[in-house]
Amino acid sequence: MSDDKKKPPDRDTSAAPRLAPGVRLRKDDQRGPVLLGPERVLELDDIALSIVTQIDGKRRVSDIAAALAKEYDEKAENIRADIDSLLKDLAAKGYVKP
Amino acid sequence: MTALPVPLGLLAELTHRCPLQCPYCSNPLDLVRASHELDTRTWVRVMEEAAALGIAHVHLSGGEPLARPDLAEITNAAHLSGLYTNLITAAVGLNAQRLAELRAAGLDHVQISFQGIAPEQADAIAHVKGAFRAKKDAARLVCDEGLALTVNAVIHRSNVGDVSGFIDLAVELGAGRLEIAHVQYHGWALANRAHLMPTRAQFEATRSVVEDARRRLEGTLVIDHVMPDYLAERPKACMGGWGQQVMVVTPDGRTLPCHAATTIPDLVFANVRTSSLAEIWGHDEAFNRFRGTAWMPSPCQGCERAEIDWGGCRCQALAITGNAAVTDPVCSLSPSHDLMATLASEAPARPGYRFRRIGG
Repeated sequence: MSDDKKKPPDRDTSAAPRLAPGVRLRKDDQRGPVLLGPERVLELDDIALSIVTQIDGKRRVSDIAAALAKEYDEKAENIRADIDSLLKDLAAKGYVKP
Repeated sequence: MTALPVPLGLLAELTHRCPLQCPYCSNPLDLVRASHELDTRTWVRVMEEAAALGIAHVHLSGGEPLARPDLAEITNAAHLSGLYTNLITAAVGLNAQRLAELRAAGLDHVQISFQGIAPEQADAIAHVKGAFRAKKDAARLVCDEGLALTVNAVIHRSNVGDVSGFIDLAVELGAGRLEIAHVQYHGWALANRAHLMPTRAQFEATRSVVEDARRRLEGTLVIDHVMPDYLAERPKACMGGWGQQVMVVTPDGRTLPCHAATTIPDLVFANVRTSSLAEIWGHDEAFNRFRGTAWMPSPCQGCERAEIDWGGCRCQALAITGNAAVTDPVCSLSPSHDLMATLASEAPARPGYRFRRIGG
């Protein structure tokens, strides 16, 4: 194993949410977009999907809010509440690391 | 006639070989020998067919799947087909090289069973010296590789007081998920029932321990608590309902709606050597026998829970009442419900566990 893998994540990106280990986004023919984890499946609606698609461990919550605000022509602060509440829920269920 | 459900999971029992001899194993007493196992090519095809059928998760299980030298190849076929790959392992013999190979093949998640929270007690259940230490080492490797880890703790009379210790162990190892799974009494576990069954008071104590830990560890550790059937009032939807969510393929290719279904004497199972998963899921007599609600007897027929628990477990109904087509006696509405309580407090007929062995 290389040393890079063991390095803790850069401090600057610690506020950037990432999918928990073992969690994958899948566009499923039968079920639509889902998050797959061990023994679990979470179906995503359009809003949840647009947020989850932005989660990459690099983008901070504020970046995600800004990107979605642009996309939906909304104010970032309005969108921020939706993002926070979804992320809180996904983190509690173990899908996302905040 | 309701539409055919889309299956969610494939339990791929790649082999019945296992270095452990746990007396709570849910594998059948009549274990499949290595010479009868499916070859690599057939498993690869099964993975492709599973994905095409809409299955999302494949559980690479056994026995001990690491006993198959072609595990990475099978994992890779599953991964390339788009399946979420979950390795269910005892982890004895899971070294860094093997793990790196599996990771490169696209493995998503590893579930490691722990028989106890301390070496002596855990190794006595596994009936293998050094197993506990080997598992801990393997669990650390899994997390070092950046793979997701579930700790699976099978709970019975001799470790039911250690639930809190299992929670600490899972956190210490860096697991994202813990299964506190009370023994399901099928196969070897059924043969050892009188030795394994906890008392109601012992079980009740585990509930509050888990609930407290869930609150304390929210966001760190997901805890799934699989309840013990014999002490319940309502049955579980066994496998999410017969023919509703899960397909099981045995090491020799028989395809079952439930991993204990071979105990039901008048069912004949199709084999993936000669049929596709889609044919079996859609048309096989065994899958259709207890699918949906039409087969249900009273008191399931018309019950508001008919499509919640789907009548419970067919294999358990058979094991307790001798008839697979009656309501699971876990249900308090079953005429055989009181028998469950009697069986739960039965004294052992012989001393010591009957350990799991091929030909045993």
